Amino acid sequence: MTLYHFGNCVALVYVPYYLTYKYSGLSEYGAFWKCIQAGGIYIFTQLCKMLVLATFFDTENVAAAGEFNIISEFLRSTVDVADLLGLIFILSRIPGKGHSKLITAGLGWAAAEVILSRGIMLWVGARGAEFSWVYIQKCLESNISLVQHITTATLLWLFTRHDLNKKFKPFVTLLLIATIFKSVWVDGILNILAIGPWATLGFKALVASIFGFLALHIYAGLAQVIGI
Amino acid sequence: MFEEADNLADIFRGGLPYYLLIVLPILILCSSNPVLASSEFAVQRMSQFDVHGKQFGCRSSGINLEGKSLYSWSTSRHCVVTRLQDLTVNQFHEIRLKAGGLVILLPNDISQFGEDVKQQIYQLEHLMLTQATSIPVYFSRHDKNFEQVIADLQRSATAEDYQSASHKQRESALSEIMNSISANGYQIVITGGSHTTPNKQSKIPIIQGELAPMMNIKTVGDVDVNSKLPLVVITANLKTFGLYNDYLNNPDTAVLLTLAELFSKLYSTSNAAPKYRLLFLISESGSLLNFQAMKKWVEENYQTPNIDFVLCLDAINQALSEDQTKIFMHVSKPPKEGTPMNVFYKNLKSIATKYDNVSVEGVHKKISTSEEMAWEHERFTYKRLPAFTLSSVKSHKDPMRTTIFQEDNESNIRNTQRKAKIIAESLARSIYNVDDGEIFTGAMDVSSQMIKSWMHVKSILHNNDLKNAFEKYLKNVKVTYEKTEPRDPDFLFYDSFDGVLNVYSVKPAVFDLFLTILITAYLFSVYFVILYFPHLYTVVCRMSKESMKTKVN
Repeated sequence: MTLYHFGNCVALVYVPYYLTYKYSGLSEYGAFWKCIQAGGIYIFTQLCKMLVLATFFDTENVAAAGEFNIISEFLRSTVDVADLLGLIFILSRIPGKGHSKLITAGLGWAAAEVILSRGIMLWVGARGAEFSWVYIQKCLESNISLVQHITTATLLWLFTRHDLNKKFKPFVTLLLIATIFKSVWVDGILNILAIGPWATLGFKALVASIFGFLALHIYAGLAQVIGI
Repeated sequence: MFEEADNLADIFRGGLPYYLLIVLPILILCSSNPVLASSEFAVQRMSQFDVHGKQFGCRSSGINLEGKSLYSWSTSRHCVVTRLQDLTVNQFHEIRLKAGGLVILLPNDISQFGEDVKQQIYQLEHLMLTQATSIPVYFSRHDKNFEQVIADLQRSATAEDYQSASHKQRESALSEIMNSISANGYQIVITGGSHTTPNKQSKIPIIQGELAPMMNIKTVGDVDVNSKLPLVVITANLKTFGLYNDYLNNPDTAVLLTLAELFSKLYSTSNAAPKYRLLFLISESGSLLNFQAMKKWVEENYQTPNIDFVLCLDAINQALSEDQTKIFMHVSKPPKEGTPMNVFYKNLKSIATKYDNVSVEGVHKKISTSEEMAWEHERFTYKRLPAFTLSSVKSHKDPMRTTIFQEDNESNIRNTQRKAKIIAESLARSIYNVDDGEIFTGAMDVSSQMIKSWMHVKSILHNNDLKNAFEKYLKNVKVTYEKTEPRDPDFLFYDSFDGVLNVYSVKPAVFDLFLTILITAYLFSVYFVILYFPHLYTVVCRMSKESMKTKVN
């Protein structure tokens, strides 16, 4: 039963990734190796981040589990700028047409995250005799993070374009900053609202889809102008 | 290998599947059954022992079964989880024969219950102690979380009842399926072997010490002066276990040690020392083990000359018995007029009335011919020594004798103190051969402090308190051990087992299937979203084009 439950969870986490890869046209471009490269860069970025966190942030600032401390959370989010640098690096390395380039970067990044952060947790947790909804929730959350990462990649790409409409420039910058400090303001709002785990999940999905839609809207405008 | 792969599927064309075939089973083996329990509880197994080859207590230890409440269990694949006060004798009978295990949550304080509930608990306890139980039985101390688990189990039980009731009315099958899907289950796991090992080194300590008037003058000529004096033996049992292993209240030991303290004061003043010798004797784990330790002592010492009588203390103050103003004197044959035992009985009777009108009643029970002893004094009477037992219970079958559920409160101490005083006065009267007057007064009086400090004395095998107390007040202190024989053991203990109970909340297999269906549906919706994403993209394009146009205009 428990191995079966593990299978359920794995399907829930990884099948959307596979579907994205298969049906977004990436498979036709042969972008598999590029995705793996993106994942490698993700790992490197995370190592750098950990190094910085361990060096410059004292452990006392790290809030105890279940407690929400806005200052320490804010400081820790500043390190997440490294994520953006990593993504920019990936975008600059990957040749290719607009669409596939963005999806490759986002997908590779998200897939590496999901394998590293969720894989062991599921293997140890979901196979146990104990049943808990937590694992299903985590799986759905990583689905949301896929959308989130592709959105971030798109925003970054827009940010680096010089031919972007001047009016959109501040808007894109604002969205990027909001993405970096997402954990601060989203967790802050959730902490104030104090809603259940399912509603939290729904809220996160909503935020991700709004961001996604805005990014898509700007991207579509630019893509038509430059003709890709 | 990866660089050539254009597609995820390309990888699987190579040798990778074969590697996976090797790696996956290894991974599964390496991390078998990860234990991440939601709740862990410390539990104690019901005690297990053999006396004369007869088995008592619980005979097995491991549990890995589905937890059920008292009303919903049905097969030997269920482990019944219940509170002690809910369990009746009949239910226990049935569980003992048909269920797979039993976990009992002990109440916080037994004094909160009414008389009938208490009575039920004592009867149940007595039943558990007087027979062997083949299923594992565990006890957990009071715990809020555990209470929650039991409440949860009972709730699902009532839901099932509702379900079966609705079944009769032929309600929709859908609701039944929904019920079975949403059911919450608990898996009860206690690791332990199916067989328990007897402790071949089992031993019961016996400690003795004496008081005699002329301790300093050992011998006059060749004859021991003291050995000519009449001797009174006072014995008690130290209860070291009951339904499970625990440190128990021991009023008998407390009274005996108080007597030792009082009389040592008397004997230390040289002109007041009576012409009597007193021998104090404490053996451990009494009636449950058929007074095995005392058997050995009697066999070795029954030829001691000049024994006037043997006074045994047994359940002298069972805190919860309703009537605290009674002392029963149990004898195997009625004492004849003029014997020291009869004198003591009369003294006891007359003195008892002075203290809160306590009444003394003689109970005559003929010695049984079987190996099983009802009272400790029967061990002595067997060897023709005059002996009797003082107790607060009338029948040797009273469950109060072996109960572990006792209140440890002030009135308990006060009652014990009163009885210690009565016994001390009557004993002093007997050995001084006086008819009147109070002997232990002023600084010599029985204080509640004395009783309190001896109430929780532990076994000699655990610490030295008892031995130190004996050495403080008495002379010739000796500790001997009654060991079990490897062949044909008279008694056997089993390794006590402090276990950890893991409670996992689990879901039925149907639930997993249901979950699979939901996930599949979800994945299909994701599939369609991705498939129709180009359409969405064109829509967005059109929107942004229009917004461009409006801006241009």
